[in-house]
Amino acid sequence: MLEPVSIVGLSLGYAALYPYAYGSSAISSEARAVREAVSAVVESAERSQVLFGEKSVAISQIVSLAKECAETGWDGDEAAPINQAVIHTAVKFIRALPNDVPLPEFAPEPDGSISLDWIRSRNRLFSLSVGSTNRLAYAWLDGSDRGHGVAQFAGERIPPRIIEGILGIMNHGNVTLRS
Amino acid sequence: MVTLPSGLEEIIADDEDLARYLTSSSQFNATMVKPAAFLPNPKDRETSVFRHGSEPRDRLWAIGVEHAAGGRNLHGAAICKAHHVREAQLEVTADEPPPRHAAIRGWPFSESDPELQKARQKELAAVIASKAVVVHI
Repeated sequence: MLEPVSIVGLSLGYAALYPYAYGSSAISSEARAVREAVSAVVESAERSQVLFGEKSVAISQIVSLAKECAETGWDGDEAAPINQAVIHTAVKFIRALPNDVPLPEFAPEPDGSISLDWIRSRNRLFSLSVGSTNRLAYAWLDGSDRGHGVAQFAGERIPPRIIEGILGIMNHGNVTLRS
Repeated sequence: MVTLPSGLEEIIADDEDLARYLTSSSQFNATMVKPAAFLPNPKDRETSVFRHGSEPRDRLWAIGVEHAAGGRNLHGAAICKAHHVREAQLEVTADEPPPRHAAIRGWPFSESDPELQKARQKELAAVIASKAVVVHI
């Protein structure tokens, strides 16, 4: 009997599910199953909303950086401006990031690319360049270990080795970084 | 021993400070200067630095405003030692004028694979950035 509850959630928004998720005193096994399922839906929706909000902030930061670096010489020298193609690819990358991957910080690069940086400490970081092609240059420092690589990004799915690399740095995991 | 117009010796000693001026607040965070700040200019394939440490602060900013900012706001400077650059297998050589100017050279370049070239550069820039200290205005 999960379907009617889901329909309520879809038509009224997930907030309408709160009574089902947290307010029920039902004790039958079916009722308990419904409550647990609804709780999972509410938690997932809340997590999505938080992440969507964070991604919106990240996308705003990209746009703001692009405005700041919209003209040649933004570095006081001869740096290239950040163009629309770079902005679009960076935004697609952020949208495609799985929810369990932390969002990066952004920095301008002299060739007009945007650097996406995951910095855990000064010796543990993952840095990725979004430029005007679909090939992403990346590099990492992991204590005394370091390396670099290139991966394809067509705009939808982020290459697994990039995800592994970021999580390996940020979660201090045992993932082996690959070039 | 050749002395330059600035009064500095032509050869940059390993323990000399190098200042990389920062024209965007996005080039650093509370932890460190970001690697992108040390990447070379794609036109001349060099990273412009000045032979100056964090003190005296007035002169550090005066040099930055006059010779590095190009009319833009300065947000700070990343200071590293010449040996940090050399440990990344790059060169740093005097390049006056302007006074005290130097250039980090020897960045990997590959006409056939620009992204791989960039990845190599990012790794070396990250090595230097990990050693640098940010001085805020």
